[in-house]
Amino acid sequence: MAAQAGSLPRYIVQRLLLIIPMVWILLTLVFLLMRVAPGDPVSASVGGRLSEAALDERRASLGLDRPLIVQYFDYLGSILRLDFGKTITDNQPILDVVKENGGATLTLTVSAMIIALVVGIPLGLLAGRLRDTTSDAVIRIFGIITYAAPVFYTGLLVQILFLNVFPGWPLLGDSDTMTTYNVPSKTHILLLDAIIAGDSTAVVDVLKHLMLPAVTLALLICGIFIRLTRVNVLQTLQADYVEAARARGIKESKVVRAHAFRNALVPVVTIVGLQVALLMSGAVLTEKTFAWPGLGNRLIDYIEGRDYIAVQGIISLFAIVVVVVSLVIDIINAMIDPRVRY
Amino acid sequence: MKKILALASAGVLAMSLAACGGDDDDSGGAAGGVGEPWTLGTTDVVTALDPAAAYDLGSSTLHYAIYQTLLTIPAGENTPQGDAAESCEYKDPKTFVCTLRDGLKFSNGDELTSSDVKYSFDRNLKIADPNGASTLLASLKDIETPDDKTVQFNLSRPDTTFQFVLTHSSTSIVDEDVFPADEITADADVIGSGPYVMDDYEAGQQASLKKSETYQGANEGKSPLIFVKYYPESSNLKLAVQNDEVQVAWRSLSPTDITDLEGNDSVDVLKGEGSEIRYWTWQLGTPVGKDKAIRQAAAQLIDRDAISERAYEGTVDPLYSPVPPGFPGQVDSFKAKYGEPSVDKAKAILSKAGVKTPVDITLGYTPSHYGPNAVDEATELKSQLNDSGLFNATTKSAEWEQYQNLYKENAYDLFILGWFPDFLDADNYLSPFFVDGGFYANNYTNPEVNKLVASSQATDDSAAREKDFGKIQDIVAEDVPTIPSWVGKNTAVTQPGIEGVQETLDPAFIFRFWMVSYNG
Repeated sequence: MAAQAGSLPRYIVQRLLLIIPMVWILLTLVFLLMRVAPGDPVSASVGGRLSEAALDERRASLGLDRPLIVQYFDYLGSILRLDFGKTITDNQPILDVVKENGGATLTLTVSAMIIALVVGIPLGLLAGRLRDTTSDAVIRIFGIITYAAPVFYTGLLVQILFLNVFPGWPLLGDSDTMTTYNVPSKTHILLLDAIIAGDSTAVVDVLKHLMLPAVTLALLICGIFIRLTRVNVLQTLQADYVEAARARGIKESKVVRAHAFRNALVPVVTIVGLQVALLMSGAVLTEKTFAWPGLGNRLIDYIEGRDYIAVQGIISLFAIVVVVVSLVIDIINAMIDPRVRY
Repeated sequence: MKKILALASAGVLAMSLAACGGDDDDSGGAAGGVGEPWTLGTTDVVTALDPAAAYDLGSSTLHYAIYQTLLTIPAGENTPQGDAAESCEYKDPKTFVCTLRDGLKFSNGDELTSSDVKYSFDRNLKIADPNGASTLLASLKDIETPDDKTVQFNLSRPDTTFQFVLTHSSTSIVDEDVFPADEITADADVIGSGPYVMDDYEAGQQASLKKSETYQGANEGKSPLIFVKYYPESSNLKLAVQNDEVQVAWRSLSPTDITDLEGNDSVDVLKGEGSEIRYWTWQLGTPVGKDKAIRQAAAQLIDRDAISERAYEGTVDPLYSPVPPGFPGQVDSFKAKYGEPSVDKAKAILSKAGVKTPVDITLGYTPSHYGPNAVDEATELKSQLNDSGLFNATTKSAEWEQYQNLYKENAYDLFILGWFPDFLDADNYLSPFFVDGGFYANNYTNPEVNKLVASSQATDDSAAREKDFGKIQDIVAEDVPTIPSWVGKNTAVTQPGIEGVQETLDPAFIFRFWMVSYNG
């Protein structure tokens, strides 16, 4: 049976097809931006040591002397073949870089999201419920500050605080050197590997290392959850169905819990998915601040080294993650609200 | 939502448990060696573990631990001595012959013979990796191996610096049965014959070095297991050593960090002689740079002590020659010619040449390649020139990538650059700079300098070479194609219980892991 206009399958197919131009535009932009930026991998690494002739020779051996259009189609061709190539600056296969470092980024972002939800949503509900009280004001200020404070600045403050108040608490990296050395890498997610290895000391060590960067990154997005949840609670508390519930004599606490809070959280769930892009960009800075061995950290190194191949590979991956999450959110939205399909 | 909250609660609980957790790490380690495992923290970046694909200090630091070169620079010295080679000598300035030690083996048990040596050099030249240092072997014509222990290097021109090239990590000896002849070996597959074996390596994160059981040579390791941990920022590194997350922090700490750590009783700041230099280069393609009197006047005015104190908090030493102190043949030629900074003398130089003052001059620097203090140095020099009343100096900056083009395109009259030697010979501070405009293309040429460089490279007579080096430095002080500014120190910060670090802090900038032990 052919999918009808406005049907869910048709909508999903349309959204899937839209991914192709989105990814293509994105890959093209990344390619062009890297080339427009001054410099190249050769001048970044050995410029200031070799003569111009020697530098040109090295550029030629990397194919950087070819016309831009040739490099561009070469790049697109390799992406279509799923051949992401090797980094220029440290000779690592891109997929290995993603494999080795992606686990750390995943651990950080998922932990941060969980903490942000756990802290942000209850505080937002509370602020909405206690509108225009001192508690509401404090929570709102907290939300604004955490959202507005640069993540690297918050990170530095947290590090200085722990260095002085809890000396010895791990401030950098994802684990102690012995943990990294002793835990066999199976999933490339250190926390999982430590659990699989049954090494409780390693699990504790990894969680201790995770705490500060995860909390720092979580603070960035929990401000958004606080504000959004609060606004939704205020709106639902004034909704007709809430008024009707009150009119039926239902206790206020039950009205709030069963009618207002539950309905206020529906749009928040949608927003959670949209925070992935913010989470990824925040992760880059958080990883740098905490020397967290994730993809964001590597990305900055590669940008500084003008490593076209590496930057293109990692950003493409980031973009694909965001695009896929957006797709999933759109599909969920379409399932919940049929109006979205039209 | 209930599931999300349950997961979140579990996460928070896990965090809380982590907070209560202990620190009792397992001390896994290698057999042999003394003391406990320890960690070196650094901000250096490693390009590749294959010596044919790297030309950077981060990679070299690991190469020196896991491979052997034919010759090496012992701690505190500057004359090459045997490492894999028992002895080496010039038969003539175009022929260099080495005899290998007995019983050399790679960590996989394969014997190391002259065939492996020849293979390593041929491979390096054949691959000519864009990140590699095959250019250092420019004078190598071919290699003969008359027997398993003898290697004869035939050079295309007389080159007595070749013996120093053989101390560079890019000439490390690899196993011909393991390393492909025409492509780079993956980091996970490299093996060598050095004092340590690369046990585990995670690029950009951590390297684990285990003491080798097959090593033959003078650099037997002390510690059974050593970690190298990589940090993205010097601020991370400072924090790591303060918090005892690493026992040694080496390189790239900023002057402010070093000064701060010197006031910290829980760590030791160790300093040795360095070889990294900064210098101001004249662009002779500009009307200002072209005028020798102007160049000499600026050289007469520069106050290096003030630059060291005000821009680098005294963490660097003033430099009065293109060659840092400690190298055979080094002379403080700028000090001899110009003495103390003097406005009167500078004024006399300009006046004699009929130069109208104040001279408009543009100083160039980059804030993104030589650390955050480069701007302080440029500002300090600008003040010194302007305070004399003889110059009207302005500063301009550009990111490193643009900077490299701008200084060649005459955007600056005088611009700052840095240098880190490939090997410990004065030639490495002279020939790349002053022969036909140098690598920075500043349009300086002096046939006498070209002749002296060629002459010093053509003889293995130390006295004759040092005499040539001295003459070149004197000519440079007279012509002033560059103005030396400062030489850095080799600095490390250690935790109590670490021994042997001070001994390895010398101008060679080789971190000799094998000399260091830890009893924390």
